[in-house]
Amino acid sequence: MVLTLGRSNVFLALRDLRVARGRFALVALVIALVALLTTMLSGLATGLVDDGISGLRGLPLTHLALQPGSQSSFSRSTLTQRNLAPWSKVDGVDASPIGVSFFNAKRANGETIDLALFGIDRGSFLAPRPEAQAALEGEPGLVLSEQFQADGLKVGDALTIVGVDRTLPVLGFTYGGSYGHVDIAFSSLSTWQELVYGDNAKGRFSAIAIRATDESTFAATDVAAETTVESKEAAYQGSPGFAAETATMDLIRGFLLVISALIVGAFFTVWTVQRTRQIGLLKALGASNSYVLRDALGQLAIVLVAATIVGAAVAVGLGSLIGGGVPFSLSSAPILGSTLVLIVVGMAGSLVAIRRITKVDPIIALSSEH
Amino acid sequence: MSLLLDDITITVPDGTETLTILDRLSVRVDAGEVVAVTGPSGSGKSTLLAVAGLLRRPDSGTITMAGVDTTELSAAQLTRLRRDSVGIVFQSSNLFPSLTALQQVQLVAHISGRLNSAATSRAKELLGSVGLGDHLERLPSQLSGGERQRVGIARALMNEPDVLLADEPTASLDPERGHDIMELMTREALDRGVATLIVTHDLDHLDGATRRLHLRSGRAEESTPSATV
Repeated sequence: MVLTLGRSNVFLALRDLRVARGRFALVALVIALVALLTTMLSGLATGLVDDGISGLRGLPLTHLALQPGSQSSFSRSTLTQRNLAPWSKVDGVDASPIGVSFFNAKRANGETIDLALFGIDRGSFLAPRPEAQAALEGEPGLVLSEQFQADGLKVGDALTIVGVDRTLPVLGFTYGGSYGHVDIAFSSLSTWQELVYGDNAKGRFSAIAIRATDESTFAATDVAAETTVESKEAAYQGSPGFAAETATMDLIRGFLLVISALIVGAFFTVWTVQRTRQIGLLKALGASNSYVLRDALGQLAIVLVAATIVGAAVAVGLGSLIGGGVPFSLSSAPILGSTLVLIVVGMAGSLVAIRRITKVDPIIALSSEH
Repeated sequence: MSLLLDDITITVPDGTETLTILDRLSVRVDAGEVVAVTGPSGSGKSTLLAVAGLLRRPDSGTITMAGVDTTELSAAQLTRLRRDSVGIVFQSSNLFPSLTALQQVQLVAHISGRLNSAATSRAKELLGSVGLGDHLERLPSQLSGGERQRVGIARALMNEPDVLLADEPTASLDPERGHDIMELMTREALDRGVATLIVTHDLDHLDGATRRLHLRSGRAEESTPSATV
């Protein structure tokens, strides 16, 4: 065991960890709590993002062309066939009109629900599943996201759109998703136009959904169509509250990371000050700066990595207990990302202490201890 | 010749004045020699040890360690030379609280990147030779003051140094233990042919020294064969 440890770079640090485990456990606890908070926040941020744009993200489009000046917002964009025509003529580009509006709908039992209604043209590439496409080509009705099914709605239920007083049957269910924190529903574009404009639709819709791999023709088509084309990801900004929510979450996460760096940096600095004599002694015994740094950073890395992993694991556990009422979503990429960032930031926080280590003069080993 | 300090001067600022700590001091210690350095407080004993241990550069003069002129060496090169050629026994043993007696000695090999089973055997042999063969797994807190100092001696000898330096090695011990430690150190140094420089204020424990160097105001006042010490 001794020899196994001896081959590692952290001969002294490992044994320090064992002997001073109470001290290190306290610091590890603080780091774990920060990791817990950061991971939980990451889950909430991802959940909020999902809640805001998962409906749009799930659509098989790559770009959206909107009315110029609409700032990615469907509610500020109105286009017509005149805008659609130039896009439809471009080779290698699938273009389809889409209407997006928010409605309240009343169930037969009197309960009111919110709908983010996506009106899709018959035969459009946007219909997420063939069965949804088929449903939308028949009698006017709604294809709802799966969340509504979980809320007890069934095929054949009637929903009355509030304000328009138009009753539509539930035709089926399709992939889950929401837009602007409202679960989505699909209807045919003509049904959407009827709900929004009554009998005065004049072929209007919100935007043009585009599926293309080559963007070289976009600029010219944009001019001809009098539209502003943007990527699907850029269009997320138009989701109600999306920009403010992500900015707030990013700010909180940023603060947590700074706090984490300060905590780790402060601890490591105090620990280094306390170890000054020990570091001087190591150098007096012939240890180079890089040896002492490896030892110290190895120790920090062990505490940091172990505490961060424990914190993140607890966060995942707690996250699984959170009910559906709170938008919370954790997948491996953001967990791994926030964990890695926390470790890197923690190591960065120790830079002051590292500088201190290199400055310790071995001559202090000769001074009397008491 | 293992250690040659030639014409060493060290000064420090003292208010508006300059204080001379070592004043053109020359000391030569050959392999197998044990030189005891005595002198009153402030005579430059500790500074002499720091210079000899390559822990401090002199303002002028040259240090030749194991045949290497250290004048032009970089800080990293001095550290490597100290690692490979110098063993230091500190005043109050200076052990690492989290390491067992065996690990204290193994650490020296680890710093050199040479910790293997042969090094571990040597560490055990050294601890055995200082009478701690049964205390290998004890932490410093489980050892007496004399035992801790013995671990310090074993550690200083681990890298097979050309030069052994000791800084008041008996200062924290009672007279009987102090005598034992001094005797052990001089015996080990003589047996292993190491050039040894022991700084001490304790004139009662100089029996094993082959020479005595008395410092006063940074100058060597006398150099006496051991028989007359």
